[in-house]
Amino acid sequence: MADLLEPMKRDVRAQPGTGRNGGLIRRFSLYANTQAGFATLLILPALTVIFAVVFFPLVYSIWLSLAEVDLLDTSGPTLNLFGFNLPLYKFIGFGNYRDIVGDPLYWGALGRTVFFVAAFVVEATVIGLAMALILNSEFFGRPILRAALLIPWSMSRVVVGLLWLGMLSADFGALNAILSRLGLIDHYISFFQNGFSALNVLVLVYVWNQAPFATVLFLAGLQSIPKDLYAAAEVDGAGFWRKLWHVTLPSLRPMMFLVLVLSTVNGFLMLDLIFVMTFGGPGNDTTTVSWLGYVTAFNFFQFGPGTAILFTLTLICVVLTVVYQRLILAKFQAE
Amino acid sequence: MSGKRISGTTRRAFMRNAGLVSLAAATGGLSARFARAATPISLVGWTFRPDMVQAYIDFFNEKYGEAVDYSTLPWPTFHPTLEQRAFAGDIVDVMYCTHNNRQRWFERGMIRSLEDLPGFDEIKSAMLPASLSSLTSKDGAHVIALPYYSAYYIMMYNDPMLKKAGFDKPGAGWDEIIEQCVKLKTDGISEYPMLPNWNPTQTGTNPQFLSDCFAEGAALFDDANKLQADQDAVAHVMERWQKMYELGLVTPEIFTQASSTDTHRMMFTGKYAFHSNHCNYLQDTATDAAQSQLAGKKARITPYPGKTGDTYAWTDSYVMNAKTAALESAWKLLQFLGANLNGDWYVQKEWAISSGVQNPYPAFYEDPAVIASTEEWVDPAILKEQAGKGKVINAFKETWYPEYDTKVVPIMHDMIRKKSSVPEAIKAMTDLYQSLA
Repeated sequence: MADLLEPMKRDVRAQPGTGRNGGLIRRFSLYANTQAGFATLLILPALTVIFAVVFFPLVYSIWLSLAEVDLLDTSGPTLNLFGFNLPLYKFIGFGNYRDIVGDPLYWGALGRTVFFVAAFVVEATVIGLAMALILNSEFFGRPILRAALLIPWSMSRVVVGLLWLGMLSADFGALNAILSRLGLIDHYISFFQNGFSALNVLVLVYVWNQAPFATVLFLAGLQSIPKDLYAAAEVDGAGFWRKLWHVTLPSLRPMMFLVLVLSTVNGFLMLDLIFVMTFGGPGNDTTTVSWLGYVTAFNFFQFGPGTAILFTLTLICVVLTVVYQRLILAKFQAE
Repeated sequence: MSGKRISGTTRRAFMRNAGLVSLAAATGGLSARFARAATPISLVGWTFRPDMVQAYIDFFNEKYGEAVDYSTLPWPTFHPTLEQRAFAGDIVDVMYCTHNNRQRWFERGMIRSLEDLPGFDEIKSAMLPASLSSLTSKDGAHVIALPYYSAYYIMMYNDPMLKKAGFDKPGAGWDEIIEQCVKLKTDGISEYPMLPNWNPTQTGTNPQFLSDCFAEGAALFDDANKLQADQDAVAHVMERWQKMYELGLVTPEIFTQASSTDTHRMMFTGKYAFHSNHCNYLQDTATDAAQSQLAGKKARITPYPGKTGDTYAWTDSYVMNAKTAALESAWKLLQFLGANLNGDWYVQKEWAISSGVQNPYPAFYEDPAVIASTEEWVDPAILKEQAGKGKVINAFKETWYPEYDTKVVPIMHDMIRKKSSVPEAIKAMTDLYQSLA
């Protein structure tokens, strides 16, 4: 590496700065000439992009959650970025958070969100693992099945919502037609008639959409488990369940951690299916925290409280990630 | 290189043609379109039929020598995005705007009054008073928009279904209609004969409730925009809704429909006998046999039942940026879109014929092409009569209204499903209003 950089270093030395900026350029050249300086230069473009698209929006949105936001109020302080005014609004501390904590609607939405996430994470993980175990075994048509498995996951969630709305419709839904022709129902069922039913429909549709991703991750994990472990277990007389419990699941811990974290975060943030399928209804029965944050921001134009509502989800996700890490990954790393 | 042909021409031919073009320009030989340097103006709308909009914008640019740049934004974030852009200094000359955002935009100086613009008095006098009131600022002093469309609630019925049950025509009032529905259900002709627009969107439950109250002669908001929920007529409407649901006349699916168009589509499956909804976007749904079991005018319109038969109406709009630098061009575009600049209701006719979209100019309904198109799915005379019975509220001009509009829906849904009683629902509505206003 040092040899490769030598010509460049010589070039830098050969062009000393002149005039008022000369000292600055010289200092920069000298810094760039060091190994740390050159490494910094190399990662600077990437850091700039990360700052622009990740760090800055994150900090700005945290700021919004602590401010009284009125999109049309141009009287407050602004930040001028490349000729565009970025409003900073009036700082009000934790006022927005205090307001949402005192709102019974928020706590109702949080209860439904917790139910939704718990049901979704358990179902997506169990079904994803089961499908991965099946697809990891040898059978005819496995490649086709593996490819087909990805179709639900690769579909836009708006399309997924519309597809299932069509299938579950009480007017012309395929599911009702099948159940009716099998003689299992005498009249078409409305799957969205009460909140509990509607919320569970949302869970099932989301599992249908997301479980294949868990399967892919588990499949990758399964393929990295050494065959010797299974052979040794078989020598010891282990059957399917004991191999699963003592070999497969412990070896899958890092992947299990990843699946749990991703599905928990996805579950908390799920919004599009509600938008397409229930609009938060009937009543408030499928209003989750993400939906409440969305309508607060975009229907009521209360961007401060809306952002604060959504940041509570971020906080919950971070806490749960730490819990998962402690429960699953830390033990694995210790072993 | 000199001897090679470049893009099908030679350097000599290029020089010759350039000379001819220069000569033509100097002698005025080019078309007016190129000779006139139109000031570019921008039009931003929410994404709905952008192909059709672009086609009539092209027509406008061609005919009037303007340079309108049309673009769209997704509906869910349309208004906040435009507000952010305005804050950042971007000037969109002409914009779409829903009724419940106009006042806010006007108060904050984002859009301008149209009162001082040439020819505006003529446009005002051609419009239905209710719509004009809707387009006026809260203080009543300024008209701040021109209509994109007007919407009002209508009542439709499934003619073959009623005939099958032995009814020649729909019941004259709500009691008779409910009796007919009970018979349709009892006879097994329709599982859910009644389809009120109880979906949770901005054009659903709350406008349906306002309509049913207006139809009974009750205004839910007074002239000062105060909620007047404690009226016998309001309680009566709520009790009727509870009764319809309790009798199993209304499908539970209605509570989660994501749009009023979805509710329209339910009606045109042919499984329902009565349907109340706003009047727009029915043209293709109602007339296309591939989409509708009731194509061929099997769904009919009837005057809205109730003491007065009035229904709730609203007008969504085109507005002009207060900071536009091309006032003349923007005003011309606004008139083309929202009035009758072209003299033949060009834009309104496009919408009416393609989608059955209504507007608040009675003269428009005299147009033979519009009448012929409307007759394909509805009785134009009843539609026009119902348009005249449209009632507006001014409460939507208040800053608290969007939140009220959304949060009142669960209160209504819980009341309909008897999770709360009528007095509890009225109290909850009143508490909600008081917490916001």
